[in-house]
Amino acid sequence: MSDNGTTRGLPAISRRQLLAGGTMAGFAAFLAACGTGGTATQAPSASESAAPAAASAEPSATASAEAAATPSAEVNWANWTYYIDVDAKDQTKHPTLDKFTAKYGTKVNYQEVIEDNQSFFGTIKPALEAGQDTGWDVVTLTDWMASKLVRLGWVEEFNLANMPNFTANIKDVYKGLAWDPEMKHHAPWQSGMTGMGYDPTVTGELTSLSAFFTPDPRWKGKTEYLTEMRDTIGLAMLYLGLDPTNPTRADADKAVAALQKAKKEGIVRDLKGNSYAEDLKAGDAVLAMAWSGDMVQALVDKPTLKFAVGSEGGMLWTDNSMIPKGAAHKGTAELLIDFFYQPEIAAEVEAYVNYICPVKGADEAMKALDPEIAKNPLIFPPDDILARLRVFGPLSEEDEAYFNEQFAKVLGVG
Amino acid sequence: MGTLLKRHRWIAPYALLAPGILWLLVFYVYPAFQMFVASFWSGSLEKGFTFSLANYTNYTEAIDQFAPQYLRSIVYAGAATVLTFLIAYPLAYTIAFKGGRYKNVLLFLVVAPFFTSFLLRTISWKIILGDTGILLGPIKELGLLPEDFRLLATPIAVISGITYNFLPFMTLPVYVAVEKVDFRLVEAARDLYAGPWRPGGGIAGALVAGGLAAVLGIVFAWPWPILAAGAALIGGAVGWFLVSESFIRVTFPLSLPGVFAGSLLTFIPAIGDYVNAEFLGNPDTRMIGNVIQNKFLTQNDYPVASALSFTLMAAILVLVTVYARILGTEELTTTGRV
Repeated sequence: MSDNGTTRGLPAISRRQLLAGGTMAGFAAFLAACGTGGTATQAPSASESAAPAAASAEPSATASAEAAATPSAEVNWANWTYYIDVDAKDQTKHPTLDKFTAKYGTKVNYQEVIEDNQSFFGTIKPALEAGQDTGWDVVTLTDWMASKLVRLGWVEEFNLANMPNFTANIKDVYKGLAWDPEMKHHAPWQSGMTGMGYDPTVTGELTSLSAFFTPDPRWKGKTEYLTEMRDTIGLAMLYLGLDPTNPTRADADKAVAALQKAKKEGIVRDLKGNSYAEDLKAGDAVLAMAWSGDMVQALVDKPTLKFAVGSEGGMLWTDNSMIPKGAAHKGTAELLIDFFYQPEIAAEVEAYVNYICPVKGADEAMKALDPEIAKNPLIFPPDDILARLRVFGPLSEEDEAYFNEQFAKVLGVG
Repeated sequence: MGTLLKRHRWIAPYALLAPGILWLLVFYVYPAFQMFVASFWSGSLEKGFTFSLANYTNYTEAIDQFAPQYLRSIVYAGAATVLTFLIAYPLAYTIAFKGGRYKNVLLFLVVAPFFTSFLLRTISWKIILGDTGILLGPIKELGLLPEDFRLLATPIAVISGITYNFLPFMTLPVYVAVEKVDFRLVEAARDLYAGPWRPGGGIAGALVAGGLAAVLGIVFAWPWPILAAGAALIGGAVGWFLVSESFIRVTFPLSLPGVFAGSLLTFIPAIGDYVNAEFLGNPDTRMIGNVIQNKFLTQNDYPVASALSFTLMAAILVLVTVYARILGTEELTTTGRV
């Protein structure tokens, strides 16, 4: 049935790779900003083409704050590419969504329109600013963007009465984030770990993040950091004993100083988006800050490689499902988010997607589906590893600008 | 319509120009203006931007903070332009004078790499230059280079990448210019004793090549004496066997317009290039294009990014003007001095 690794969709392209490749899409945000005069250009891809007339077609169906006694006829979900299961025979079909439709009679208008957080934000921002429906009932965005939306008050509060599976099955590591302590605004969809990818045949066994900052001849000049600010600064903070869940400007200074020192000592070869995986495979790098999702694939290609979460900790990033303010089918959206917190359904998604599942019991359900994946610690990390993971804390807009500016120095462009 | 045109003959040239002008207005002038306005913004993406002339500080900030990257861009693009010239000139010369009936095939081969995407061509260099790749792997195996020697993530890789990617932009204009040279002029020069320069040509070639290597060595702080010696050897050989007085006095001056056009076509895009520095370099080799990309797409700092772009445009304009003054602008429009 599933020959592991190859049928899991299109393994060469991971969700993060798309993220890196899609940076040009960020340009859309600039173009949108050019129209600052107040003529907010209506979100083009989102509200017009992808989710047409969601608001106007059935205004009576707006369940808003009440429980969704009767699910609406359709629900609109914006997500990233290769982020949900597909039918092996028909790439356009998503079996789990079909099951949702069978259960509730709701057609899920599932659109893979998010290429990167910033530019998608640009498409929904005008509607949210004007207090209008964005056309989406569910959007799936990364922590830092999710926290920004919550901070701006542009996210509906969940009616948890509609979401029994979510409240019961969300893993503990996700709870109690500063920006949404009671988890009333976001529900994790998929996560990834940031840790150490290395080639033990060259470096020997590594357990500490200090390797990234030690000029050892075995990996000096063959070490790579990530271009993603929150991952590289986060790991540097963990190495320094600082707390990345609550980052301050002073922390940024210390982390950047440590990173710059390592660069000066010739430890660092380069900072990479996803291509570190290629470099690890080719031997151009023997130690790299790495994403678990990529490493699942890299390990298939070069089994001698290893992925580890340092003893000081690792970073956890998450893409979260949220209901944007003014969504037309809020109640149905809650049912939809909750639907994927059933372990069997979550396992079905996970059999296709290489990331970490936030749902308790999905690993048990996976054993029936594909025992190989259930055993993979990169997809179902054991609890002691999960406990070492940290989510990068929320930053105010000013602090974020400061962090990015400092990090640009590490990138060589500051 | 016909009568209209006949009565107003003056319309014709404008009508012919209209599509091009319209295109430039919509896709160049308007965005450039928009960008110019943006360079006087302050604010942020979230809170919105406001325009004020007082924000000229965006420019001082841009120049102040990013002078190293500007300088690096100029040096890399300059080095790449010199290298493309050194490679393209003999190539174009050979195709034009010795190509015979294979001229078209050879020209096609020059352009052939362009059938692959720019990005793919650059990324494939990573495979070639890899630490244990097809180039360095065998040399390291023989023990001729230390194990930790690398080309990737160094200025050498970035400049090589730019040189490779822009080679056709130099080769084609030079070819067109060389091809036009009337070979009878060269023959006449030879009849008048403008023959091979021996041994003087050899010494001159060695001096030029040695000097170039020395400059490159100083720029990149390489162990340049060895490099200079090697380059002097090659330069000497070239000077000894190939360079003749007729070439220096007739062929080369007649081909100068091609060299001028080719070097502009190489230098101007190369200075703003960020792909080679991104894929083949590392943080120590980032060029101004990388800074602008980061400012625009990661930091969303549109005002400073726009100011950086405009400063780059101004810098290029100044450099090109100086260059044109030195080489003589009439070279662009005439086929050469006779």
